[in-house]
Amino acid sequence: MTLQELYAEVSPIATQILQIPQFDSSVNMSSTPEWDSLNHVQLLSAIEKKFGIEISVDEAFKLTSADRLVRYLHGILRGKP
Amino acid sequence: MNVATLPLLPHQRPNGEVKLPYANFHELLKAKTGDAPSREFLIFPESDRRYSYQQFYEISLGASEWLRSRTPDFGTICIIFRNTPEFLAIYFGAVARGISVVPINPDLAAAEIRFIIENSDCGAIFYDPDMEGKLASLKKEMTVAFHPFADVANLPPVDSEEAEANLPKVEPTTPAVIIYTSGTTGNPKGVVLSHMNFIIDGIAIADWFEFTPATRSLCILPLFHNNGIVISTTTTLCAGGSIVIVDPKASLRSFWALVDRYQATFTSVMPSILAALLTLSFEGKPGQLKGIICGGQLLPLSLAHNFEARFGVPIFEGFGSTEASSYSSFNRFPAERRKLGSVGIVMPICEMKVVDDNDDDVPDGTEGELCIRGPNVAIGYHKLPQLNAQKFRNGWYHSGDYGLRDKEGNYYFRSRKDDLIIKGGEKIYPAEIENVLSKHPNVTESAVIGVDDPILGQEICAFANLKDPDATTESELLKFCAQSLARFKQPKRIVVINRLGDMPELPKGPTKKILHRRLRDYYESRLANKEAVEGSKWVRGSHGG
Repeated sequence: MTLQELYAEVSPIATQILQIPQFDSSVNMSSTPEWDSLNHVQLLSAIEKKFGIEISVDEAFKLTSADRLVRYLHGILRGKP
Repeated sequence: MNVATLPLLPHQRPNGEVKLPYANFHELLKAKTGDAPSREFLIFPESDRRYSYQQFYEISLGASEWLRSRTPDFGTICIIFRNTPEFLAIYFGAVARGISVVPINPDLAAAEIRFIIENSDCGAIFYDPDMEGKLASLKKEMTVAFHPFADVANLPPVDSEEAEANLPKVEPTTPAVIIYTSGTTGNPKGVVLSHMNFIIDGIAIADWFEFTPATRSLCILPLFHNNGIVISTTTTLCAGGSIVIVDPKASLRSFWALVDRYQATFTSVMPSILAALLTLSFEGKPGQLKGIICGGQLLPLSLAHNFEARFGVPIFEGFGSTEASSYSSFNRFPAERRKLGSVGIVMPICEMKVVDDNDDDVPDGTEGELCIRGPNVAIGYHKLPQLNAQKFRNGWYHSGDYGLRDKEGNYYFRSRKDDLIIKGGEKIYPAEIENVLSKHPNVTESAVIGVDDPILGQEICAFANLKDPDATTESELLKFCAQSLARFKQPKRIVVINRLGDMPELPKGPTKKILHRRLRDYYESRLANKEAVEGSKWVRGSHGG
């Protein structure tokens, strides 16, 4: 899956959980008050369910922007059979 | 030096001899760097950046030199950053020049940020470039200088000796930080804290919990609040330890992984974080964690018991406030000495007492207002002489918190004297929200209360009376609030009184003052159960993230 395709898959989940109009590469935790600690937990859980993966707790705290999150997913899914 | 020799305010008088080994923050950092220059000081896992004492000391001096050409010594600046090295670089660089730092919560609405900038009379604003969008309108409208600061790596190299020589003499009583907290009138108020305040408090807490250079604190609370900057940062610095600093918003799910990977020995949280951790299915690995410092809102005993039973880490509850730098009392360390359910005994640097409405001391076991006196107590509120006279009267800071002391000297927090809402550790006065609602053209009057929430402690519920009850929906009122209020201050629910049927108007006393307590009773008896039945989610929230 390309990064663009991943954005298309992640965006509906993220916009629903964070209650924001769009989820693109400009979105980050710092400038998005809706992306709070509990929503972060919910967002990562929903993504794990959607893609059938497990996001490492050692990485979860680094996924603080749409770009970081989608690139991390890209890396994980590339390595998945 | 002996604190008693300093020009203290009556409410800062120490209880016996209290030593202040460092006159200011820069002296403290310099001394700890001299003790062990190569020892690790700061770790930022999110960006994989680590700094030894020597490296951060040089960064601080670099920031200090960089600031020199941008803002005058002993002035005031605002800083808007999350938990990043850039926050601490500007903070330490500024206070080394005698500059008072006003840390601003990046999640505040633009109008709220504007108020703090104007009220603090700051000379410049330093901010994370990620904030550019939110600050765009303020930058256009305001004449004060805005300086983006992206990366400490961009600071020009400095000659340490030369930079040291350029630093002005900063006295212990010089204001170091102005922290804005919610105000009863609806506007936030700036609490002015000196170098002495924070250093005295930091040393006392480090001693209390037997911090050593081997202590490693995990900071998951925002640095723009006193808890993050005092408990995690200053206290650990006073012991020469190291600090792992993460973004509060991203830390919850990784909490135990961070504790384990970085071998944290202490952390500081709000009760809401303990409640949230209990809701997650992840198992914890306490590793080296000796204790969790907890305060900022009421800690239910059942929550403490459940947390300790599941994770095996003792919680040390304390009592404090921004006006007392951080904590004034703590449960005894180690855990076997605690009196669970209490906020502990008073720390040796200060005094606490309980008074009645006439300011007379009450006997042990009797409820009253908790008061604090000592060198950890703030200078006062910025430009609010009337409030200062009211809150810092008769040589004591009157906290507005009600509680009692038992015969063993343990204090117990019971409730607030006023209608302050504490949501996930964030303090919010109803007037802040009522002022916003009153500006809606269809609202004739409104009142805001705190209601119980299982995670955050309290949530916000607003009641509004409408001129035309059919012209505005609750959802529209919520959106209206969102335009002017930070997310954590926005009501979770707005109840339109005209539609209730059994409450024609807001309950008022003889002077026509709205009776918030009656509204809380109404909510508890008529609406709280309905919320539960309808399964409304009262979980999203604050605790700084």
